Amino acid sequence: MTRAGGIAIALWLALLAASAALVWRTPLSTDLSAFLPRSPTPAQQLLVDQLREGIVSRLVLVGIEGAAPPRLAARSEALRLRLARDPAFVYVNNGAQELIEADGRFLFEHRYLLSPEVAPARFTAPGLRAALEADLALLASPTSMLLTQVLPADPTGELLGLLDTLQGEAGAQTREGVWFSRDGKRALLIAQTGAQGFDIDGQQAAIERLRSAFAATAAGEAGVELLVTGPGVFAVGARTAIKQDAVRLSAIAVALVAALLLLVYRSLRVLALALLPAASGALAGAAGVSLVFGSIHGVTLGFGVTLIGEADDYAIYLFTHLDPAFPPERTLRRLSPILGLGVLTSVCGFGALLFSGFPGLAQLGVFSMLGLIVAVLVARFVLPALLPPRFGARASDALAAPVLTLAHSARRLRVVLLAALALGFGWLVLRGDALWNDDLSRLSPVSEADKQLDRSLRTDLGAPDVRQLVVVSGATADAALESAERVGERLRALQESAAIAGFDSPARYLPSLSTQRARQTALPDAEVLRRNLTEAARGLPFRDEVFEPFLEQTQAARARAPVTRSDLDGTGLALKVDSLLVERRGNWFAMLPLRGVNDPTALASAAVALKDSGAEVLDLKREADALYRGYRSRALTSALLGAGAIAVLLLVGLRSVRRAYDVLVPLAAAVVATCAVLAAAGVALTLFHLVGLLLVVAVGSNYSLFFERDNLRASDPRRTLAAVLLCNLSTAIGFGLLAFSRSPVLSAIGGTVAIGAVLSLVFAALLTARIERPRYG
Amino acid sequence: MRALTKALCLCVSLMLPAARAQAGADAWGPQQLMAELAQREHAQASFVEAKYLRLLSRPLALSGTLSYTPPDRLEKRTLSPNEEILVVDGDRVSVEIKARRIKRTLSLQQHPVLWAFVESLRATLRGDLETLQRFYRIELAGDAAGWRLALTPSERRMSAVISEIRIGGGDGRVRSIEILETRGDRSVMRIREEAR
Repeated sequence: MTRAGGIAIALWLALLAASAALVWRTPLSTDLSAFLPRSPTPAQQLLVDQLREGIVSRLVLVGIEGAAPPRLAARSEALRLRLARDPAFVYVNNGAQELIEADGRFLFEHRYLLSPEVAPARFTAPGLRAALEADLALLASPTSMLLTQVLPADPTGELLGLLDTLQGEAGAQTREGVWFSRDGKRALLIAQTGAQGFDIDGQQAAIERLRSAFAATAAGEAGVELLVTGPGVFAVGARTAIKQDAVRLSAIAVALVAALLLLVYRSLRVLALALLPAASGALAGAAGVSLVFGSIHGVTLGFGVTLIGEADDYAIYLFTHLDPAFPPERTLRRLSPILGLGVLTSVCGFGALLFSGFPGLAQLGVFSMLGLIVAVLVARFVLPALLPPRFGARASDALAAPVLTLAHSARRLRVVLLAALALGFGWLVLRGDALWNDDLSRLSPVSEADKQLDRSLRTDLGAPDVRQLVVVSGATADAALESAERVGERLRALQESAAIAGFDSPARYLPSLSTQRARQTALPDAEVLRRNLTEAARGLPFRDEVFEPFLEQTQAARARAPVTRSDLDGTGLALKVDSLLVERRGNWFAMLPLRGVNDPTALASAAVALKDSGAEVLDLKREADALYRGYRSRALTSALLGAGAIAVLLLVGLRSVRRAYDVLVPLAAAVVATCAVLAAAGVALTLFHLVGLLLVVAVGSNYSLFFERDNLRASDPRRTLAAVLLCNLSTAIGFGLLAFSRSPVLSAIGGTVAIGAVLSLVFAALLTARIERPRYG
Repeated sequence: MRALTKALCLCVSLMLPAARAQAGADAWGPQQLMAELAQREHAQASFVEAKYLRLLSRPLALSGTLSYTPPDRLEKRTLSPNEEILVVDGDRVSVEIKARRIKRTLSLQQHPVLWAFVESLRATLRGDLETLQRFYRIELAGDAAGWRLALTPSERRMSAVISEIRIGGGDGRVRSIEILETRGDRSVMRIREEAR
């Protein structure tokens, strides 16, 4: 072993040790939003953050089905009682009367601070007279028995008003005393986990506790099914799926590539040596990701599969060109420029991912760039040092001769091929935008079946997807609530003119301090109120002193401290406030979801007026679509820049326009053909396919490069072909396996690159390579 | 269920020796009463009602019309002192107070107390003993020509509000309904069916 070789091995081992130590301590993340674009506006950022860590992300929606309603109700109630005692959950609701009554008691106690109807005029003699007359009408109605108890304390009907506005929103049906879907086939329950939405271990633990709590309530009963959905459930499911995928696909990839190498080299030692650069690269890439991002995304781990197929190329080239008659250094010096150029083009492609705007894709970029660089360095400097003297790895090139013959004769079809490519290109251009799927949800790793279950449970619970909402902000929670109240006044006007069907606001559940104080001052003192009441009741059949509780409780309300967020703890109102009022980087945001926008133009003109007061009207679907299109065009730009950089690199590296042209033409043809194949197979392209196409150029360039005529001429064509075939096949295995991943990003990129890499080689052979008919001798 | 009903009828008739004596060999009881009531088709009546409430120093006097369309539509139209329309149709209850422009629609499933209350009259008119027994313990006195049905709520939430509902009638018709509330309020309604 030379001295240089010793240094290389020492450095390599040190790198491996450091990387392993780093990776060992790095947490695995499966943040679903990593493959959603970073949002440009603060309001949109707020929404993405809400998904990640807002209260919404901590909600678990539960359905219980598969038995008659009374049994389902009993299971729902048993589950609620268990979860209520479980510290993993901070709030559970299944619509049970007990909970509704608890909320009702809270509303009753704080009615004079919470009711929007509380105003000075309501407590004057005429105001009270109107209230008492209304009360008489209600007492005459057949439902009076539900009223007579509260009336002495609440003649102005604040509680009824509050219940009306608050329960008007709730959509779930009650049956057998608990929430049910409309068809009565599913009992419903919601639970809020104590763990944050991004704490996937916490989410997983909570969901497991929920499942075992449900199982414990079975009492020998079979057939009752538990359905669980929600952001936490999705995150846990996605993590499990990606972990399984990464392990399973890596194992298959290693097995297939190893089998292939064994078949060709018939030597375990060669196999081990060939996999060394890939393994080192994967470890170093993961360590790099850990250094840059602080955690490794599950999808990145899954992407490691491709490195197995790709990075063994360098070792294969080396082995192919080694001649036992010469020291390896000589071969290496000859191969270095082309290996270097190959790596650089790949790095250019993966580097473009850093600018894609997706944090997850940036991780893939860093991982692959580092992985490939380390793999090629190991192949160049470490492998030769490890080789025994006079090492020669004879690849079986039995296949090479017939393939060469085939390629040679197929070249006659070049015209047909070019015509087909032109046709395909024309067809793609004609289809234009129809090729693309602009639905953001296509990028989500959640399966269609899971999404459907989520939608159906949400509809059952009467919580339809919010499409439009108004967002206001403030320096404090109270300031945000004040803004929400001002916006609420405008929205109420829109509601009265039927422009919108309704809206929700955090200020409805927690009014701002100034509003609560204004309501307190609207209540007259004891003496004035008693006088007004006496005057109002004149001539009406109410007994004297019936309203003593009212007189007492209004005075208590005047002196009471305002309701704060912590007073809401344990009630359903807390959940509402927390989901609509959030703090983000020192700023508070209040969200007012709109229901039933009937008159978009009226809303639009109101939106202009609202903008002045700092409120923003968001149409989530439109924003998401615009966002997605923006990111697609950004991904397109970075893909084109990446491809351009690769072209420049080849031009400079090969120092010849003609040679660069010969390398690039097959790549361009491969991109067009891959696109056409995907489109013809009915795949609607997402921006992940676009990224895949960029990688076709980056990865495919290696094959057309090694097939380029000067390289071909410089070496034995048969050996080169055998090597290139082997490399190409192992790369296709690596990426092709990814196509079976359940993660949309991996399957889109994997499928595209696998097809494209094979096509690049085929086109290189058919279009530009000067393959001479093999001479048999 | 049928056997249970029969057994229950037997118990009730044993407890009411007077009824049994008058009914003679026909063994008139809740089942027979229900069968008789169930024969009725559409019915239209006028009513007067007096409500005695602790909150008020004098009773509220109400009057209006009632109509029943089998199997489950009931309409109570109060004309005086306020115009108010209460419609029960299947699971839906709507209350409309004209002068106050209040209109509210509720689901009976979601309001168990209201549901029990509605069924005291609706199930009686329909002759639906099974539903009545789901919400109430029943006692029957009198005979086919003049009977009194006492309903005691069996469910906790309902019995917290209502202590007893007494329905009186004869010859297959309901003539009076008296509601006694737990807290001492009471209402008495007299019904006069219009000739058909």
